Amino acid sequence: MPTFLEILSRQWPRFLEESIEHIQLVLASIAVATVIGVVLAVLTYQHERAASIVLAITSGILTIPSFALFALLIPLPLVGGLGFRPAWVALSAYALMPIVRNTIVGLRGVEADIVESARGMGMSRWRQLLRIEMPLAWPVVIAGIRIATLLIVSIAAIAALVGGPGLGNSILAGLARIGGAGAVPLAVGGTVAIVLVALVLDLFYLAIARFTVPAGIRHD
Amino acid sequence: MEAMIRLEDLTKRYPGQAEPAVDGVNMSIPEGEFVVLVGPSGCGKTTTLKMLNRLIEPTSGRIFLEGEDVTDVNPNQLRRRIGYVIQQVGLFPHQTIADNIATVPRLLGWDRRRINERVDELLDLVGLEPATYRDRYPKALSGGQRQRAGVARAMGADPPVLLMDEPFGAIDPITRDRLQNEFLRLQEEIRKTIVFVTHDIDEAVKMGDRIAIFNDEHQIAQFDIPEALLTAPADDFVRDFIGTGAAVKRLHLSRVGDIELADWPTASTATDPASLRRRLTESPRSWLLLLDQERRPAGWVTSQSLPSDAKAAGSLAWPAPSSGGGLRTEPVTEAVSRDATLYEALDQMLGSRVFCAPVVDDQGALCGVVDVDALAKAIHEMRSSQNGDAPAGERTEEEVG
Repeated sequence: MPTFLEILSRQWPRFLEESIEHIQLVLASIAVATVIGVVLAVLTYQHERAASIVLAITSGILTIPSFALFALLIPLPLVGGLGFRPAWVALSAYALMPIVRNTIVGLRGVEADIVESARGMGMSRWRQLLRIEMPLAWPVVIAGIRIATLLIVSIAAIAALVGGPGLGNSILAGLARIGGAGAVPLAVGGTVAIVLVALVLDLFYLAIARFTVPAGIRHD
Repeated sequence: MEAMIRLEDLTKRYPGQAEPAVDGVNMSIPEGEFVVLVGPSGCGKTTTLKMLNRLIEPTSGRIFLEGEDVTDVNPNQLRRRIGYVIQQVGLFPHQTIADNIATVPRLLGWDRRRINERVDELLDLVGLEPATYRDRYPKALSGGQRQRAGVARAMGADPPVLLMDEPFGAIDPITRDRLQNEFLRLQEEIRKTIVFVTHDIDEAVKMGDRIAIFNDEHQIAQFDIPEALLTAPADDFVRDFIGTGAAVKRLHLSRVGDIELADWPTASTATDPASLRRRLTESPRSWLLLLDQERRPAGWVTSQSLPSDAKAAGSLAWPAPSSGGGLRTEPVTEAVSRDATLYEALDQMLGSRVFCAPVVDDQGALCGVVDVDALAKAIHEMRSSQNGDAPAGERTEEEVG
């Protein structure tokens, strides 16, 4: 009877492959969520009502149990089905709220006198947003993206239920034959790998923040 | 000549408010004039200022810049022709000082080399060493330095007009006074047309060539030179707003260099005590001003500060006078420059034991002193020239009529 560690080491290539898939799925979802979330935030941050509606909807998505959301997507055309696509769509939806919220907070947090002097010097609205407001809001926006990433790294495990990629498959496989040989190491290994993936991604964001937050507003 | 800025019946009404925020302002500002808008909070002075660069769109009325009606032109294009400085400065914290100053030149599409030259020129102009400051971020600057960088940024593309919204409002009093003086000197050089908002009548009197006082009805109560405002307020509102001490405020308007200075008995620091004593007894004044070789004030002496038995001690007991030992002199702390205002001179006088302020030139050499008599004479002349002007104006009208 092989020991726990032996099984774990034999499964090593599997964990590595699934970890890479997991990261790909998470980053693909974050990319979509960032584009949609930032656009929604930019469109609404100056309008109290619109902003609260967008925040209510994106928060509402987060309250849908992930298991249910993945399952609900299966019968839908275009966004649904089995495999990578429904997982991608569902995770993007989950990642929206922290990104929208932080972008709105960040843009609103830019001091009024800074925006007024940009305007007073004849910057177009678009340029104010791109050159002044966004760079100043960026630390808060990137924090939102980081929170969203941590949030969906764990939810992404559910993707395996709809045939999606990632470490959820190890956990699912382990749980399916619980009591059988190697079941526990498989499930535990998948779970530990998810934690490691989260740590790696978090370090990745720290590096991104280090290189993208303008020097004049860094706190170091 | 066409005025640099002309406002015709400029009015701002906000929906749902019975009173207009600005009610029919007419104003004509010639090129190079420094105009201050002053009044209580909510009087419309800031709204008027912000209508000039259309940060606030007027409800009715026209705005002319250099003769051109700019009421309906593209506001972004307009704002690049008008420098703008606000109270909190509003430097972009994520950009270096050089990038901040380059804002408008970049919007105008200047090439890189021209922008770099302009940035260095402006930093020099506002007294920030380019090599030290161009690559710094705003957070590494003091409040006063940020204010200067803000002025440099507003002058980025050399606009003919500067709008300043309480630019020195958030700065501590000592730095503010220095920045005001610096800015006045700068204005001598650049001769921009400036519209400056403040709620502080003293600042208005100090800075403005002309002052527009806004009243509670959001209209201009009086628009005139400071002297006229202080001596002949148009109505009770203006009189109240100027408040007590209009006579004292007038002292802000004259510079020490412009009045007749008094003579004061002086002596070289090399003079021996006996001669000093003799000079003091001959003089009507009880203090003698000691000057060094370059005629710079070195100290005050009075008879009490000379050794009481100088005769008995003789000159031998007296240490070399140039060393200053033994002679109890009062240091001269109250010297003022020729471009100090009479107010500043009076301030120094009140803090002085001698009750007079020596006036020195750029090299620190004595030009004369301001004492009570000189001050009284200057005030008297100011008053009579004002009172003399007004009736003269009335007389001409009568003659015409």
